[in-house]
Amino acid sequence: MKFKRRKLEAVPPFVGMADIVFNLVLFFLILAKMQDESQIKWEPAQATGAKAVGKPKVSLTIDDAGKVYLNGKQVGLMNMTALVQAELGDSPPGERTVLLKIHKDTLAATFEDLIAKVSEAGGEMVHAVEDEKPQ
Amino acid sequence: MAAGPATGKGAAHAAWVMNLLTDLAFNLLIFFVVCASSSKEQKGKPQQVPSSETDKKSADTKPQNVEVAMTRTTVSLNGTAVPLTELKGKLSALLAKKGKPEERIVEVKTAKDTPYAHWIKVTSAIEDAGGIVTLQVEVDREVIVK
Repeated sequence: MKFKRRKLEAVPPFVGMADIVFNLVLFFLILAKMQDESQIKWEPAQATGAKAVGKPKVSLTIDDAGKVYLNGKQVGLMNMTALVQAELGDSPPGERTVLLKIHKDTLAATFEDLIAKVSEAGGEMVHAVEDEKPQ
Repeated sequence: MAAGPATGKGAAHAAWVMNLLTDLAFNLLIFFVVCASSSKEQKGKPQQVPSSETDKKSADTKPQNVEVAMTRTTVSLNGTAVPLTELKGKLSALLAKKGKPEERIVEVKTAKDTPYAHWIKVTSAIEDAGGIVTLQVEVDREVIVK
């Protein structure tokens, strides 16, 4: 007796694969977003005149412990001018925005030095502040 | 053919397609939520600091520049203590006659223990009064004693 061999049809699950790929894209997108400054703890100071600014070229943060971060990466104040200059590159005026996120209790000994160095690097400073509440 | 609850093979297929579509819609929803949250607009206060000055003034520094000094809690305008609420008004009066940008420079001298929250309020008042903030930064000098 002769048995007929059953033909196996293996079709790749394209729909499922596309779903997985899309999920992976989302995963990496979220991961990239998580690598920003969300883990840095700081509280903004209150001031008047805050307005919407575009996406800053450089973001500098001083957290509640006085540590300085450049685009989410901890750095020292010593070579800040060179670091900011490197980040800004040859960007024209108007596109050299440096967002300063300074914790409200930071002392002048730290933030004045930082401001002076950003100014020296040719950065256009924008202070991240909270709108002053009326008293 | 009357519309009604499908049964058998057709129903299973419809359920499978619906499953896929729901999955896709959910993924798209997450995608747009992530995109929207990453493009959140930043809010901030622009400040122009022309240049920083060292504590040792050069000979050509103009003495007629307005000077604002601040400590942890106080503010003084040209050596006279003023309440923060009155700073803007007094500065506006001082700068009213000055038309050129170089005449509107306000030298800001800050004590090392001044908190940022106080500093930003003072510099905001200066800018609101029409002044241009210039920082006087003390430079630590190392002196080697042999």
